[in-house]
Amino acid sequence: MMLPIARGLLLACILWSGGSAASTSLVEEATAHLLNEPTQPPRPNIVLILADDLGFTDIAPYGSEINTPSLTALAEAGVSFTNYHTAAVCAPARAMLLTGVDSHLAGVPNIPEFLSPEQRRHAHYQGVLGNNVVTVATLLEGAGYHTYMAGKWHLGAEPGKLPSQRGFQRTVALADSGADNWEQRPYIPLYDKANWYADGKEYQLPEDFYSSRFLVDKIIEFIDSNLVDSNPADSTPFFAYLPFQAVHIPVQAPQAFIDRYMGVYDKGWDALRQQRLLRATELGIVKQGVGMVRMPTTEDWDALDDERRRFEAKRMAVYGAMVEAMDFHIGRLIVYLKETGQYDNTLFIFTSDNGAEGAGAVDPNDFDSNMMTSTLGYRNDYETLGLKGSYNSISPSFASAAASPLAYYKSYVGEGGMRVPLIIAGEALPLKGALSHAFSFVTDITPTILSLVGIPAPGERHGGRPVEPITGRDIGPLLLNTADRIYDADATVGHEISGHGALYQGDYKIVLNRPPLGDGQWHLFNIVEDPGETRDLAGEMPQRLQQMLSAYENYQQEHKVLPVPAGFDNVKQLMLNTLHTGLRTPVLVLLLTVLLLLPFYIAYRIKNTHP
Amino acid sequence: MNKILKLLVLLPAILFIVTGLHWLVAPAEVAPKFGLTLDHGVGLSSQVGDMAAYMLTLGICMLTALVSGRRSWYYPAMLLLAITAIGRSIAWLFHDAALAVDLIAPEVVVATLLLIASRRLPEKD
Repeated sequence: MMLPIARGLLLACILWSGGSAASTSLVEEATAHLLNEPTQPPRPNIVLILADDLGFTDIAPYGSEINTPSLTALAEAGVSFTNYHTAAVCAPARAMLLTGVDSHLAGVPNIPEFLSPEQRRHAHYQGVLGNNVVTVATLLEGAGYHTYMAGKWHLGAEPGKLPSQRGFQRTVALADSGADNWEQRPYIPLYDKANWYADGKEYQLPEDFYSSRFLVDKIIEFIDSNLVDSNPADSTPFFAYLPFQAVHIPVQAPQAFIDRYMGVYDKGWDALRQQRLLRATELGIVKQGVGMVRMPTTEDWDALDDERRRFEAKRMAVYGAMVEAMDFHIGRLIVYLKETGQYDNTLFIFTSDNGAEGAGAVDPNDFDSNMMTSTLGYRNDYETLGLKGSYNSISPSFASAAASPLAYYKSYVGEGGMRVPLIIAGEALPLKGALSHAFSFVTDITPTILSLVGIPAPGERHGGRPVEPITGRDIGPLLLNTADRIYDADATVGHEISGHGALYQGDYKIVLNRPPLGDGQWHLFNIVEDPGETRDLAGEMPQRLQQMLSAYENYQQEHKVLPVPAGFDNVKQLMLNTLHTGLRTPVLVLLLTVLLLLPFYIAYRIKNTHP
Repeated sequence: MNKILKLLVLLPAILFIVTGLHWLVAPAEVAPKFGLTLDHGVGLSSQVGDMAAYMLTLGICMLTALVSGRRSWYYPAMLLLAITAIGRSIAWLFHDAALAVDLIAPEVVVATLLLIASRRLPEKD
């Protein structure tokens, strides 16, 4: 017998696909009528879990050696998507995830830390969520849901931009691009402190803070605060958004978790990349015989001395530990929901904002890296790596292994930067332990949530003001096994970040990665047969290339994509913006002093020359 | 040593004069090097007139200093370059301009060179 929620979902999807303008009441009425039941089925709770910088094969159901039993259980209780794509950088991904609108139209074409002054002159290039888009939280709140958030926001801290003003009723939010996982401390010099907010007000983290544990504790606290004690199933449904800090830099984890990964990575990144490819193939995540590109940033493991190999292996061990710690705390949330009788009526969505981070130091003990970490008061010794006060990251070489078998990583529009895990699970879903190889995109998550709970998407107006309509698509039919694909062979999805460009159409993708890592040329790949992007088809299929280039031109125009300034580079821009923010006043005082003293100096010199 | 210093002043002086003439003869070719898009009407008049005057004055002052041996001719050029670099920095800090390191760096280097020349090269009677 079909569970009530499953029937509700099915009907909601049928109605949704028939017309997005259908009102909530219509959906509910039709559901009750068609089922010939006096009462409507309960609307499901939604738990949206977002990992930060998690690579394609970083969790066990996607081929990882990292122990992630909670995520494996979720994968077994639903559908794992193998061809899901997101933005290559975090804030644009978050904007699209929460609104279903392309990041350029949503006001977040890049993270604000990477935007140049020239780009910032344009209203839609502020790197904060525009008021012209509506979040899924606002829509769910409007439909009677309780809405909670605990974790990284990174979509604006100005008035009107915090999550508490974007539809979330209870929040604990980190406004920055990242922060320490053990204490309230910034991780880059751009910030003078880690900017945490609770319900819209500045917030001081507790002494015993560890990010993954704390965030899950807060979500449980929020859910618990509105629970109907006598019968939790009667409680108002909730939407809980749980964007973890894991596994963003600084990569940190409790010692007990680190201990489990000591020795696991002693064979190096090439061995790990190969091992993950094999496991992903066994699991059906990628096809047999998929090729891999060896990134130019991947070092020769065998050429490293013993000391360096030992250090690199531990860097990755902390990374594995941080992923497992996140999974452990997701497990606590699941146990809580089961114990309170809410699990059966909850849908889980787990994904990552972008691919694995490849911007970690190649050698954290070189001069530049040491300067940065010591300026911030961090240490990076082997013994305490990943613990409180330690600054850790993985090298670009291990980032490639985390993205295995894909090319590139975060910040680039190769598959390694954009293809990440997506699991949608719940007791109510008919498919269990299934894989979907259909293409899907981050903008699809919001319309899918709305469809699953039977809420209409906003059109071009919401709350009496014009808004950008959702462009993502409902992938519910893939969950219900009523469709093989959502995007037909002609549909296109474009993405631009930092001047890198990509466009998907059917099984194909055109991609341009700018130098120095990319060659600045367009390439064409069949990402179904060749997700590793090893065989450029541009020469073999010139017509398709031209037609997709034209579609990308249209994408740029329709989404108001601005060119990057000459010589633009993310890291360089971040450094300039850091200088701009931190040294503005002292530099001005210095410059004005020089300006004032110059005429006096020249007068003095002339007087001395011609007494 | 002084000959080398004179040569180091002579080279940018020639470059400034050539650039100034370039502004007068083919502004469309040289404008992009300064991140400029040529305007029209009075805007174009100001762009060509001001930029040519700036470059030619710089170069002529430096050449005059070298030829006449009068140190005081270094100062207008030095002032122009130093204030340009300061202006560019303030434009970056307060007016959302790009930090034009490629332009600021030579300006600072040549201004410093002129300062050294004004102190080291002998004053002719």
